[in-house]
This record gives sequence, structure tokens and C-alpha cells, in this order.
Amino acid sequence: MNSIKQVAVIGAGAMGAGIAAVIANAGVPVLLLDRVSDTETERSCIAKAAVSRLLKASPEALTHKRNSRFISPLNIDDHLHLIADCDWIIEAVSENLSLKQTLYTQIDAVRKPGSIVSSNTSTLPLHYLVQGLPDSFAADFCITHFFNPPRYMRLLETVAGEMRPEAMQQLEHFADLKLGKTVIHCKDSPGFIANRLGIFWIYCALVEAIDMGLSIEEADALLSKPCGVPKTGVFGLMDLVGIDLMPAIVGAMCQALPEHDPFVQLQRHLPLIDNMISQGYTGRKGKGGFYRLDRRQNPPVKEVICLNDGEYSPARRPKVPGADTRVHKLSNLLTRDDKYGQYTWRVMAQTLSYAASLAGEVAEDITAIDAAMRLGYNWKYGPFELMDILGTGWLAEHLQTDGFSLPAMLATTARRPLYTLQDYQGNTDKLHFMDVYGRYQPLIRPEGVLLLSDIKRQRQPLLKNASAAVWDIDDGILCFEFTSKMNSLDPDIMSLLHQSIARVKRGYKALVIYNEGENFSVGANLGLAMFTANIAAWQDIEAMVAAGQQTFKALKYAPFPVVSAPSGLALGGGCEVLLHSDAIQAHTETYTGLVEVGVGLVPAWGGCKEMLARWQQKPDYPQGPMPAAAKVFELISTAAVAKSAEQARNNLILRPDDNITMNRDRLLADAKASALKLAEDYQPPQPATYALPGSSGKLAFEMAVNGFVRNGKATRHDQTVSLHVADIMAGGDTDPSEPLTEDDLLQLERQHFMQIIRHPDTLARIEHMLLTGKPLRN
Amino acid sequence: MEHAVIAGYCRSPFDFAHKGALARVRPDTLAAKVIRGLVRNSGINPTQIEDLLCGCAFPEGEQGLNMARMLVFLSRLPDCIPGATINRWCGSSMQTVHMASGSIAMGAGEAFICAGVESMSRIPMMGYNPLPNPKLYKENARIYMSMGETAEVVAEHYNISRDAQEAFAVSSQQKALHAQQEGLLSDEIIPLEELQQDGCIRGETSAEGLAGLNPAFVSDGSVTAGTSSPLTDGAAAVLVCAESYARRHNLPILARIKTVAVAGCAPEVMGMGPVAASRKALQRAGLNSSDLDIIELNEAFASQALACSRELELDPDKINLHGGAIALGHPLGASGARIVGKAASLLQQTGGQYALATQCIGGGQGIATLLEAI
Repeated sequence: MNSIKQVAVIGAGAMGAGIAAVIANAGVPVLLLDRVSDTETERSCIAKAAVSRLLKASPEALTHKRNSRFISPLNIDDHLHLIADCDWIIEAVSENLSLKQTLYTQIDAVRKPGSIVSSNTSTLPLHYLVQGLPDSFAADFCITHFFNPPRYMRLLETVAGEMRPEAMQQLEHFADLKLGKTVIHCKDSPGFIANRLGIFWIYCALVEAIDMGLSIEEADALLSKPCGVPKTGVFGLMDLVGIDLMPAIVGAMCQALPEHDPFVQLQRHLPLIDNMISQGYTGRKGKGGFYRLDRRQNPPVKEVICLNDGEYSPARRPKVPGADTRVHKLSNLLTRDDKYGQYTWRVMAQTLSYAASLAGEVAEDITAIDAAMRLGYNWKYGPFELMDILGTGWLAEHLQTDGFSLPAMLATTARRPLYTLQDYQGNTDKLHFMDVYGRYQPLIRPEGVLLLSDIKRQRQPLLKNASAAVWDIDDGILCFEFTSKMNSLDPDIMSLLHQSIARVKRGYKALVIYNEGENFSVGANLGLAMFTANIAAWQDIEAMVAAGQQTFKALKYAPFPVVSAPSGLALGGGCEVLLHSDAIQAHTETYTGLVEVGVGLVPAWGGCKEMLARWQQKPDYPQGPMPAAAKVFELISTAAVAKSAEQARNNLILRPDDNITMNRDRLLADAKASALKLAEDYQPPQPATYALPGSSGKLAFEMAVNGFVRNGKATRHDQTVSLHVADIMAGGDTDPSEPLTEDDLLQLERQHFMQIIRHPDTLARIEHMLLTGKPLRN
Repeated sequence: MEHAVIAGYCRSPFDFAHKGALARVRPDTLAAKVIRGLVRNSGINPTQIEDLLCGCAFPEGEQGLNMARMLVFLSRLPDCIPGATINRWCGSSMQTVHMASGSIAMGAGEAFICAGVESMSRIPMMGYNPLPNPKLYKENARIYMSMGETAEVVAEHYNISRDAQEAFAVSSQQKALHAQQEGLLSDEIIPLEELQQDGCIRGETSAEGLAGLNPAFVSDGSVTAGTSSPLTDGAAAVLVCAESYARRHNLPILARIKTVAVAGCAPEVMGMGPVAASRKALQRAGLNSSDLDIIELNEAFASQALACSRELELDPDKINLHGGAIALGHPLGASGARIVGKAASLLQQTGGQYALATQCIGGGQGIATLLEAI
């Protein structure tokens, strides 16, 4: 099926280069072409500069720096003929119709027959783009609209136009499995889905804030967490995207939309925006935007613009009295009789009403619109899911009462929810959505997509306590889900893991550890550790450490395979879960490492022992007592975090047999398949033995750490904690001729953990992390 | 007593470890190319070579397995030549010259290849398995002090200001750049496929630029990356023969080895090692430092080079005419052969009478070789 073996991206701006990086991250060669430079002798220097920007991008554009080798930076004049070898040619030049069409003619002259050509346009409709081009071109042409930054935004909007269905299928398959994107089919309408609604929402929030006299901090506080929107809210988002893009996008939308469209009605001249752009306040890429940092002061002071007079003043933490910020309490906020309630209601009323009016026009159904907003704007809930949270009846009533237009779709729902559970083909409680005619249709997931959220709607957990649940995901596999706050690990999780082991032994084949939180796990519950330390219940802490060690050991040596499937952060104890699994099926966006020293602790749930074993067993690695210990010492004492699954493979958290899933939605199915395969003839692993250097090696670590203290790269407490790590890595007072067992290392981990957690500087680090979420460098 | 002479000198281009062009080249492969060049350029009959000595500061991994013997095979030399790998850290390949001259004096051979190599990219400084003795450390931690910190101790004790160190570094860079641009290094360099000339030289270095660097080893210290020799990959070799042998076979004689010496000093001021070693060598020759025409004083750090120069009352105008290790690089095992070969070549080119090549060595040592014009 995968017949896309080489790709070309034309246009090496931020989007084009970012798309090239996504393709390189999939291990697929990509030609990146831009204009010939007018000034430099190196003719491909524009594309080359784009690649060097990719290598320095923050957040990182490449999942591993070496992926840049898949990108060939070229220029259009000299190298366009090379696209004859490409199976997919992506145009990502500026939004100029005639420029694009000229380029298409050039492309069509050299491309191979049947190769796919697509445009990354965000505003131009497809039927304009292919005007005047041969039918054979249109049959290979579509729109593929990526979101910025392309590596991190999972949405890919497509408009198929006249494209051959098999070519579209081929493209989708590649985008889904290789690039990890969720493909959403859009109709050929202006702005497609996410930007059509998203820009309306932003614009509406802006003009309402101006009209109602809300400050920027207030508007962002209201239009973020309470609505399930990222904390950038609206104004922070505009700063991120670039305020200078606004006039062009608004202009293009108004031109393309009919006069009666609510967006055209809403649009008006905003002198503030013009002034900001002319003064260079274009957002984070310029000297600031709605927010700016006054760097003349130390520490820099965050300032915010006044929507009335355009003057900056220090940002204030907005106080919205008595607000419950949970999305499920949104209706309380919307009905508050103050400017906060009225503002949020006016913005959400217009946005949801607009969304309802778009169903059928921009996409076939509401699920596409919800997915587009979740994935393209990182909303926690799509607009129709929000309508269900508010109640469609409640929403329709309030819209009418307050004189907002009531879209036909909301009128036909007749108070029924937009999503519901119904029986379908013998399956009970299958999720259904309402189509534009008011009929419920089953929501069919693509093959290879298995979502725990679907399973959770359909059945009860097999086991459950306050911090975790266990689900039967069929075919003899159980899924262990963390449910605690930020999926932190606590005694409840340990106890349920023990119960799960017993349960799998009694009639299942394997255990998959997986959840659909933003992060797999942020590690041990520090709040609990802090509380226990504050009452000096040291024995309880030691019991927690020992229980974790025993639980993870039981996982490792259970008579069935355990597969962990992380996505997002898997830090500290979360990383130790991975290290004790038989296999890791990692989402490519997995960020993992043993970060304990950041809070003044040492890994003590077997993390040191497992990392040592991995490095000692690495083929072709230098032998002797020091090399593996030194490498693990470096990783742990610097709290190194791999910034992708690929980098985690470099750190040996992932082993050669572990696999990476590009598409988040496919992670559970892949993990389940891996578990089933391992279960076929499963043998638990053999325990490792360790030849460690003892006191001489510890001294070598000590000397290295002292050097870092003297040259100012490590603090006093870094030194103290590192010396505890050093003693574990050295195997305590062992001699290289005396092999140590896993239990010896667990004992060392526990012993050093118990020594260091009593240290006041460690407690200060933990407290600081709990209060601020940031490490303390003491 | 038979005198030993330097009858040939060449080296590889040097480049930064890790980021340079030699980072992916095995050190034994690199050294073999230099040795082949030496044998070819000198015109010596390979079957008459008594021994191949190779200095190396961390002889393990790709530099292990008695690399010197492997170099015989890699250099396509006849099986009858044996090989010994010699370690005196930074003084390793100068030590091979001393051993060869000693053997020649006692009639135990007439021709020796004295080589040195270090890939600081491929074999970590301290080696793969650093296992210092905890008991010794407890008794005297200074023994294991890092080289950068000893440079700070020297700077403080001998009152070498940061400005003075930086002026010295700038001068070293300028001399090296000038020598490179004028082609004064091309005779000694064996060009490689990967690299044709030295990669470390940063001729654009300015005092202002150096003043902006943070201290590299001690946060409130004065020694920076700019006033230290960089981690370097490289190889060098000299041909040491009995004078009578060289004359008999019409080999190009660069200089005669007059005297040699090694000496120990306090480990925390290891950079001062050249002082005692050079004094011994001068005394053995019955000379004063004022008699010297050419001086190659290895620049591990600007602070120690300046302090040694002052203590030995050397004439700054005679030191490191083509730049030193701060500019050219310091592949630990190779530097000794480089400065002996360089001092001998310069002696011949300038028509001077006496030359000194001397180095400091970690752990608190110095090594010196005094050369005399033929």
C-alpha cells in the first residue's frame, strides 16, 4: 500500500520546511525546493537556511537531528526536474493564486504520471487552483492543509476535488500511518473547517472584548480553561500565530464568503490591529503582541496592551470571582449576570451557533468539525461536544431568548444530544452521532484504531480504585489505565497493578499499560511524598519505595507479557514503568527520562538498575566496569529527557525490538498487537547481573561532578544528589570481580533515596516543583 | 658514544576532536599514513629500521592492542620490524625519541621510527574505564586534579593575568595562520583524503573575542577555552637515526640530539614541568637558556607556557615561531614528536645552533629535548 517513497516540498518557509521535517521524521527522503537566491553565490541557500533553522527550532521540529539527512535542500531553477522521482509533490509557496498556478504548470511538465500534487493553501479554494490546468492534473491534485507547527499539530485537512479516489486513499494512508496525522475530509469551502470556525471565534472574542470593555487577561482567562481551550486563550494564540497574518486572512475570508455569512457581518475595521502591525507588534516573532516582555527589567516583566488606548501596562492575574473553571460547569459561567458571564456567553453563543450552521457546508458531519477543532486548535472538546455538555435544549432556548440566530441543526435536534450510545450490529452502547438530517449514525473508527475512550463508554472496568482502572480490551488483553491527577503514581496504582497481575494470570494473555491522558505519567506523586516527609513518617516513605520496587519487579517477571504504550511525558516513575515492561510501543511524541535529580531525588523504583542493564548489554559498547555506569550516571545526573521516541531509543529507554507508532489513535491497537505476538510463546526475562566498579568508579564520578561544580555548571545540591547517584552506579563498595544482583541494586537505590529525601535542599526542590511546576536550582 | 640525529619529520593535519574532519578516522589508520609518508620522504630502507615506537596517552580501544606493532602492518612495513607503544601522557612521543637515542648510544640499533598519535574524538580522555585509587585520592587529592584546574593554579601562583594569557593565545593563532598562509607548514604535513591542512587554527581570534568567553574550568578563574589547547585528533612521526648511519645512507639530517631529560614536579602545577626538565637538559649540555636559538614550548595552556617562559628566562621571540598547541591543537600522544620535529626543522631552516623542545605532562612532570645543529 505504501507507494510514497519520496516526497518534494516546494516553498521552504516556516510551513514548507516544517512539513519537510514531518516527512523526514517518518524516514522518507524529501526534496525541499525554494527560489534561487538573488544575492548569494550558493544557489540553494534559501532552502539550506531553512534546514539549519529546522535544526535549531524550539520546540524541536525534527524528532532526531540526524533526520535532517533525509532532507535535500535545493532550488527550483536548477532542480525542479528532480521531482520526476517523487510520488508526492507538496506546494507550500505564498498564498498567491497566479504564482501557484504558474508553478503547477511547471510541475506538471516534469512530474511522473500518477504522482500526487497537493497544495498547503489555507485560504484558496481548490476549484480556483486547478482552473485552466489539464484534467489529468486535476485528477492527481488535492489540498493538504497542515497546521503550525506541523510536527506537533495532528490535524491534516484535505480537500479531494476531482482527485482519483485511489490516489486519495494512498495519500491518506501515508499521512495517517507514516506522518501520524488525522486526516479530516473537508468540502471545498473558504478556510476549510478549523480556520473557518477558529478565526470566527478569535475575531468574535476580539470585537466583543473591545465592545464590552474586557481586559486581555480577563478574556484569556475566560476563553481558556472554562471552555476547554489551551491556556493561551485567544489573545495569546494570536500572538503565537502572528498578528500580521490577520488582515490577509480576514480579507481573503470576506472575499470568499457570501455577504450574509456571520463572519462577514462581524468583520469591521480595527485601528488597534493596524497600529500594532505598523509598530512591529506582530506577536511572539516580533517585538511582542497583545502581550510583550519588558526585558529591561530583571526578571523581565510581562506586559499587556489595553484594547482601548493601545498602551502597555504590567499584566495582572485576572480575578474572576467564584468561577468554577471545569468545562462541565460551563453553563454556570455562561449564565452569570456580570460582564464575565455575559462576555463568555456572547462569544460562545455566536461561535457555537456558527459551528452548527456550518455542519454540512464545510464537512459531511459534525464529527469532522469536532475533530478539526480538537486537533487543529487543541480544544479539549469540539463545538458539538460542547453543545452536548451544555445541553442542546438549553443552548437552543438561550440562543433564542437572547436574540442570537438559531441554526437549523439545533432546531431539529429537539433537545436530543448530538452524540449518543446505541446498539449497533450486536454491540451494545456503540457511539453514534447525529447527521445533518437529525438521524443517528454509528461512529466507525478506521481499521487499526482502537480508543480506550470508546471502550470506556461501552463497559465497566474490571478493576478500579481512586487512581487507576483495568479494562478488558478483548482477545485476552487487559488494559491498565492511570486515572490519577496528571497520571502520577501512588500506592493505589501499585496495589491495583498487583491485583491486575493476579487477574491476568487467572485467564488473560497479556497486560497493556496505556491511557489517553495528555501525558502517560509525570512520575511519583510528589505531593504525597512531601506530605509524608513533613510529618516525618520516614518508614511510610520507605514502604512506598519498597512497594514500588516489588510491584515493578512483579510486572517484569510476571508469567505474561507487559507492553507499555506511552504518549506525552513519561517521567521518573513513569519512565520506570516503561523500563520494567517486556516491550514498549511508544507514540512518536513520547518525552521520557529519569528526571528525579531535578527534585533532589534518585530513581528508586528500579530505574537505575534497568538503565544499567540496558547499557551493559548494548552490543559494541566499550566493556569494563565503567562505560555503562558512566553513561547512565550522565543520563540520570543531568535528568536527561528524550524529546521524542526516537531519542528515547538513543538513550536505550526503548530497546531495538521496541516499536514507535506515528499516529496517536493507533497506539493502543499497535500495543495490543505487540502484546498478542509476545504472548504466543512467552518466557519471562532472565535477571541481569552487574559488574560495577565500586569505590574507584565512584571516585571518578566524584571528580567529574566536582569539576562541574567548580566551573559553575552544577550547584551544591546537584553535587550532593549526584554523589548519591554515583554510589548507586558504582555498586556501592563492591569490587568489579563480584557481580551484583538486581536486588543488590534495588537495595542501593532505596538506601540512597531514604538518605537524600531527608535533605532540606531536596525537600525545598520538591516543594518548589509542587508550587511552581519548575525545578529549583539550589 | 654514537649520537642520534633527527633524519625526518612529518605529521597529519590536526583538527578539532568530535567536530573536525578526523573524528571518523581510526587513530591507527591515521598514524600509519603518517609513518608511510615519513618512510617514503626520508628514503630510508625499511628493512633496516630497528623498532617502531609509538606514543599514546590513552592506549586502549582503537589505540590498544599494542598499536605500534599493528602500525608496522598498517604501514606496510616488513614483518621484521617490531613495535612498542609508549605512554608518558602528553610526553609520550617525545619519550620515544629519548628511548631511541638511548638505544643508539648503547649500540642497540641504528634507525627508529618515533611516532605518536591521539584520537581524542574516539577514545575519551581518562579512557573508557577511569578507576582512580581512592586511598591515594584521600591522601593527596591534588594528584588527580584536572588539567584545566592546574592551569588555574599556575595562573594564580605565577600571577599570569587573563589579559596576558589572551594576548599569548592571539599571538599563537596569528603565527599559526601566517605559517599556514605562507605555506610554512606544508613540508611537514601529509595531506589526507579527509583533510589537507590544519583545521584548528582560528586566525581571526581577537583579544576582544577571547575576553567574552566564560572561564572553562573554575567559575571565577581566568583560563578559558580560548587560552587552552583544544581537544585534537592527529598523528606525528620523526625518524631517529645514528648520525653515522644517516651519513652513510645520505639521509637528510635536520639536527643532532644533544641531551634529553625528564623531571617531576608538584601535580597541581604540572604545567611547570618543563622548567626542571629543561634546566636538566641545558645543564647536561653545559648551556644556558640564552644560548637557545629555537624553542618549541608546548602550549597546553597559555598560563603555564607564559609561566615556564618566565621561569626559564626564555626569549619570547624565539618561542613557537609557527604557532603552538593553542592554535594548532594538542593530540596528546602526537605533540612530542611534532615539537621535536618542528624544532629540528626550524634549526636547520634558520641556521641556528641550539633548539629546545619541552612539554608539561599531567600528574606533574616535564620532558625536554635539546637539539644541536649539524
